[in-house]
Amino acid sequence: MQVKELMSKNVITVTRSTTLKALLTMFIKFHIFPLVPVVDEQGHLAGIVSFQNLLNVFRPYNPELLKAVPFLDEEGEDNIFHIDLTEEVGNLVLVEDIMEQKIVSLREDMSIEEAFNLMKMHLKEEFPVVDKNNTLVGMIGVFDIIREVFHQKGVI
Amino acid sequence: MNTVLGLGFILLAGFFLAKLLGKIKFPSVTAYLLLGILIGPSVGSFLPSDLLNASALISNIVLGVIAFGIGQNFSLQNFSRIGKSVLWISVLEATGAWIFVTVAFLLILHQPFYIALVFGAIASATAPAATVMVIREFRSKGNFTDTLLGVVAIDDAWCLIIFAVSLAVAQAIYNHMLAGFFLFKVFSASLLTILGAFVLGAIVAALLSSLSKFLRSQAELLILTIGFVFLTIGLALRFHLSVLLSNMFFGAVLINIDKTPLKFFESLKTIDPPLFLLFFVLAGANLEISILPKLGLIGITYLISRVLGKMCGAGVGAHFARAQRNIKKYLGLALIPQAGVALGCALIAKNDFPDVGNMIFTTIIATTVIYEIIGPLCTKYALHKAGDVALQSSSP
Repeated sequence: MQVKELMSKNVITVTRSTTLKALLTMFIKFHIFPLVPVVDEQGHLAGIVSFQNLLNVFRPYNPELLKAVPFLDEEGEDNIFHIDLTEEVGNLVLVEDIMEQKIVSLREDMSIEEAFNLMKMHLKEEFPVVDKNNTLVGMIGVFDIIREVFHQKGVI
Repeated sequence: MNTVLGLGFILLAGFFLAKLLGKIKFPSVTAYLLLGILIGPSVGSFLPSDLLNASALISNIVLGVIAFGIGQNFSLQNFSRIGKSVLWISVLEATGAWIFVTVAFLLILHQPFYIALVFGAIASATAPAATVMVIREFRSKGNFTDTLLGVVAIDDAWCLIIFAVSLAVAQAIYNHMLAGFFLFKVFSASLLTILGAFVLGAIVAALLSSLSKFLRSQAELLILTIGFVFLTIGLALRFHLSVLLSNMFFGAVLINIDKTPLKFFESLKTIDPPLFLLFFVLAGANLEISILPKLGLIGITYLISRVLGKMCGAGVGAHFARAQRNIKKYLGLALIPQAGVALGCALIAKNDFPDVGNMIFTTIIATTVIYEIIGPLCTKYALHKAGDVALQSSSP
């Protein structure tokens, strides 16, 4: 079975220019901030935003930049309760400033076994799915796959 | 003290000393180095000799791991993203320090060319830990900070290239001092070291990438990645190629040819911290305090010419990239800290040039301690002058 047969095709996406305020409002009814794909005008996958990236707003710089630097002291979680943010931050910070660009995405024609394996390997619970032109076509999560396996075994 | 007890002591004492010095805003690296000096043969002599003798082994492993990680910088995507200013400034500040220190050692200290060249190459490295710590502390933000972070992030990659080239030339001069066809031999030996490292790195990267489809778990991923990093280090040593360059090319090729290369680099990060701690403690322990008094002029020349080289290089780079005036003027001053990569290079030089190695290593370790103390102060000054220090405070 291929990823495209199980993935959700209705995906909430944002663009690079979406403001932080708009992003936070979009998911106001959610208890958990999902993995949000960022797409360009042509629908190509440009990055993702996770709750970890939201925390970047509290940091003076984007930690992505220093990923390859050796000997850096592990960044102590900034105490978000003690950092002052102004009202303008909501409009000044854009998705482009906090999104992660180095991401793993799955091809729609990949088998679900391979997708499950990649989830284990990368310790991630969901992935964006793209076609051969890197256009976002859906999202697939670990529960989609587990549920399908239960279904195939006749449990549901 | 037996070896395992020594290892346990180093890890725990390193942990607590880093916490303690962290309170007064010193990076962990400085704490580990000081611990090494304190327990090493020059001061406390607590360190089991087995561990001290394993310094070369551990530094080769750690340097291989670091160089592999630094290779990530060479993804095509990264180059298209970092921008002209960062590229120009980082290349020229590294080259500036290299040239200034080499020339100062030749003209002021009248040292042989190969020694001057090695010192120059080591001077090109910068330690991001202290710089990043200052940026975090002041929550500085702006164009200056962004450029500074970009420069410290890629700087070590240039240092590894400069060091590998310089070392190859220095070794060729050292070994063929009296031989004929002098220039030709120096040139061919250097070229061979670099080309060989590239070929080795590329082959290993292609192998790891093709084997990665058999991976089924995080544990297997870690085993395979470490296995290949060790294989590259071992083969580089076996064929007298640069360990640093071979592993950097390994990482650089891997990041460009594999579909999901980040997993390899991420997996290694889980084993890095204790290895790095051990590396710095052993580096500190290798310091020979008795040589220190003889190094006065060498140390001062190195300290000053490196800073001048960084400042001039960064200024010229910023000029070429048409960067803002504050970047031209102050960025070099923020690049003074020196630590891990410089120490690693100095350890290699120590092993490669037995008669002058101790002098090189002791100078670098002593200047590292000084730079780690004055470097953050200079970075703070530069950030203030550049106007990037935020007005709001993050203090609780």
